[in-house]
Amino acid sequence: MPKCRPLVTMWLLLSAAGLAMADGGPSSRDTAALDAGDRLYRQYCASCHGIEGEGQPNWERQNARGELPAPPHGPEGHTWKHSDAMLYRIVAEGWRDPWNRTERLTMPAFEDVLTPAEIRTVINHLKTLWTPEQRRHQASESEGSPYPADRRR
Amino acid sequence: MNKIVNRFWRALSLTGWVMASLGLAGVAGASEEASPSLHYAPMGERLLKVQANQLFESTDDGEAWTMIPLPEEVSAGRLAAVAATAEPALYIAGPSIGVQRSTDHGETWHALNDDLPDQDVIAFTIHRRQPDTLYAMIAGDGLYQSEDAGATWKKMDSGPAQPVRRLLHSDMEGSMQTGWLYAVSDDAVRLSMDCFCGWRPTGELDAGRVHDVAYDLDAPERVYVTTEQGLWRSDNGGQEWQRVNGDGPALVVLVPAPEGTLYGLDREGELMLSEDQGQTWTLPDA
Repeated sequence: MPKCRPLVTMWLLLSAAGLAMADGGPSSRDTAALDAGDRLYRQYCASCHGIEGEGQPNWERQNARGELPAPPHGPEGHTWKHSDAMLYRIVAEGWRDPWNRTERLTMPAFEDVLTPAEIRTVINHLKTLWTPEQRRHQASESEGSPYPADRRR
Repeated sequence: MNKIVNRFWRALSLTGWVMASLGLAGVAGASEEASPSLHYAPMGERLLKVQANQLFESTDDGEAWTMIPLPEEVSAGRLAAVAATAEPALYIAGPSIGVQRSTDHGETWHALNDDLPDQDVIAFTIHRRQPDTLYAMIAGDGLYQSEDAGATWKKMDSGPAQPVRRLLHSDMEGSMQTGWLYAVSDDAVRLSMDCFCGWRPTGELDAGRVHDVAYDLDAPERVYVTTEQGLWRSDNGGQEWQRVNGDGPALVVLVPAPEGTLYGLDREGELMLSEDQGQTWTLPDA
């Protein structure tokens, strides 16, 4: 089964990319950008959010330290409810849940690790995990809150 | 002497309205207990009270209440919530009523339900800082948000699994977006950031049925809930609760006003006032 995983993953990504493009989502000129997004995701995000974006168990409830486990990025999660501006800010600056009783960030900051273009690329990768309806909702939310203007390139 | 006369007329007036509306309330509340509701409108420092499926207004701290005309749909529904903005706009909501808006003090009402799946609105509130942002909970469906004063609505979330009776928006810090939404169900108070990234229960609160939630307008992390077993307070947004005063009145509604003032209603709709964070309660004109 492990041998099948790359093929399955590739199939899922290509299917998602096709859906995304058909739906007016991330109309990346080619799948290279999505591949780059997948690569960045696996390198920097998958250790917490899961290789397939499945999130951590019991992600909806605070653990004993008051921390929220990493949520899934697929349809069952809430990533799709956030605008491009907010997703960018959360990835770049991180975020700390106010009920967190530890000192560390709930979501680490990546602005010293990823370039603005890489942050945008990895967010576009997350969009391939959503349903067409969720992509439409998120696109609507982003109309008034796009990626930061000076960081769109 | 004036106070006695005022009280007599107030009692007479309210009794009249209650008697007149008993038939309507009987129809509307046939399947569900109609509990009173209260809203403090900073514009004009007025109180708006829903009682017996009627809407009343007071501009003198509850000394006298005048009735605000309501649309016909209310007679076939259950008036569950009222809210006002500085515009000034007046909103009402409830099952079979949906959400309706008046900008002429109730003379005319406009239904805002075109984008809602149905008019079975069981809870409603307005964003603390954005008067055009409204939230309506539809029974068995979920939470809808409007950012244009009800002209259009968008489903944001399925809401907590338990039926919600009250919604309250707070501008408490720490949200990913602009604030938080508290949702009151019989068993607990839950809250979610207003980007709707999941509902979390507030801290342990073993106090029987939960009636209502309110927060200090000047310090929104100070939150109050009134329950079957009295009033509880949290100083950290609801993470932990402490009992306020076991001897206070049995309140089913809580509403905050500026400078730490709390208004409450008991089950009969009697208005009470506290200016010491719920420690003691008095009649407003006492």
